[in-house]
Amino acid sequence: MNEEEQAAAARRVRRLIYMAAGGKIQEEDLGNGETDLRTIGLDSLGYLNLLEGLERTFGVAIDLDQEEDHSFLHTIDNIVRYIGARSAQA
Amino acid sequence: MSTAGILRDAAFEAFARHGGRTAVAGGAEVLSYTELGRRIRDAAERLRGTLPAGPHVGFCLGNGPEYVVLYGATLAAAGLPLLLDASFNTGEIAAIRADCGLDALVLERSKAEAFDLPGKGEPLPFAGDVVVLPLAQSGAPTYRPRPDTEVCRFTSGTTGRPKCLEFSGHAVLSAARNWVEGTRMRAEDRTLCLAALSNGLAFNTSLLATFLAGGELHFFKGAPLTRPVARRIEEAGITRLVAFPTLYRNFVAPGGPARATLASLVYAISAGAPLWPDVREEFRSLYGLDVSDYYGIAETGPCTFERHAGHHRGLGEPLPGAEIRIAPDPDGADGEEGTGEVLVRTASMASGYLNHPGLFEQRVDAEGFYHSGDRGRLIDGRLHLVGRTQDHINVAGRKIDPTEVVAVVTALDGVEDAVAFPDEDLNREALVHLVVVAADGGLTKAVVADACRARLAPWKIPGRISFVREIPRTGIGKPRIAALREQLNARKEPAE
Repeated sequence: MNEEEQAAAARRVRRLIYMAAGGKIQEEDLGNGETDLRTIGLDSLGYLNLLEGLERTFGVAIDLDQEEDHSFLHTIDNIVRYIGARSAQA
Repeated sequence: MSTAGILRDAAFEAFARHGGRTAVAGGAEVLSYTELGRRIRDAAERLRGTLPAGPHVGFCLGNGPEYVVLYGATLAAAGLPLLLDASFNTGEIAAIRADCGLDALVLERSKAEAFDLPGKGEPLPFAGDVVVLPLAQSGAPTYRPRPDTEVCRFTSGTTGRPKCLEFSGHAVLSAARNWVEGTRMRAEDRTLCLAALSNGLAFNTSLLATFLAGGELHFFKGAPLTRPVARRIEEAGITRLVAFPTLYRNFVAPGGPARATLASLVYAISAGAPLWPDVREEFRSLYGLDVSDYYGIAETGPCTFERHAGHHRGLGEPLPGAEIRIAPDPDGADGEEGTGEVLVRTASMASGYLNHPGLFEQRVDAEGFYHSGDRGRLIDGRLHLVGRTQDHINVAGRKIDPTEVVAVVTALDGVEDAVAFPDEDLNREALVHLVVVAADGGLTKAVVADACRARLAPWKIPGRISFVREIPRTGIGKPRIAALREQLNARKEPAE
């Protein structure tokens, strides 16, 4: 992804997080892209909703059993990098 | 110490009867009934050689074949399995240990290393990364289980002390037999259970019930996303899906799995929280299958099930062995006629709370009916719930005592008053709404949230925190939640 595509992906991820958390996390709470989502209240149900949203929005299959390191889900920047890498593989 | 052995005998009788049929499948591991029995006997020998006689073994582990093997092994070693929530923190486990006694924990190796518990022994490795962690008892536990107790499960308690429910072997066996009979479970059934085995839903509908029927119990590793869940259903020919409402909501959201992937399903069962009527409708429209709502209570086991296709309302009829009555509302109450508190009597009732003597008994009347705290009515023999008379908060099937959350917050400097009550997020998921009165402006939501994260299991952490100047209360000091909601709604405070 180029910079413009990355910025667009980040905006979509921010929106997905807001919806996944049922509004409990406001988009302004997300801060910069390096905020650890676990520290601002994204719980296990929120993560489940976020994963569903990421799969359907970006058309990627996310199998946590196949990923040894789950830190790709901890920040918006990491998620965007992961989505970019998976899109490039497809 | 368990002495009756009813569950051990029932399980081994089933293993012998169903022999080479598949009993358990999880990931790449598939165990026949014969193999499962052998693995349980081997594991029981290891437990006998390592732990004291009649050990109390706490299970702090996600679902999988090893859970079943070590659960069976604990019973076979005349021990007492205590099925903990896998998300319990060190404080909650320490409280259970002091109250009920824990001679060992079954958990993942990484967790065994991380837990800061005195008297930790050398972990005994079992399959994969599952270990049994021996715990040296520093003294006798405060409470001793009843002689016929064979399994303990937990519900939320006050001040970080989960309430330990004792179940006799007879009660657990009755729950399984009545589920088999009431839902016509057969040897051809393959159940995919997505709920944790520490949850009454999974425990009663999936574990022993499946083995009595000679069916297959399938486990799912990883996040229960609809795509891999649907793939598993299709590949394994799953006939029964046991899940929570959120999964069904995700199935019907745009872009969900194709109808053909769920073609093998005969029953889709939802429990833990009420299923949204529009989701039920949409699921039927998309997949051609009614989601059967189930009503069960931690203290009583399974109560109802809807087995008749075409009945789309309510939570079904009482299961065999379960009786339901509605206690009429007092004169002058403004509820609909026939509505009142749901009273339940089952053959699978708990014996009591091990670490809260007398509390369970207070809620059982002279005729043996448990006062559930739920409000509802019976229409054509089917239970319809309309709300709760109690203050418990049900988040994804886990009941939270709001006083536990309030106790954490009122211990903070600068907190004058607090109350917690059930609310919903924008996805209509239940959450704990905590309202705080602070002595000055120094206290922030972040400080309150951090204190909750440090002291409470993740699912008990408030999903919304609000500050007010005063909590409206009645003359006897009870919080007026309806008035507080109105006050908050009028303020239209941004959700946190």
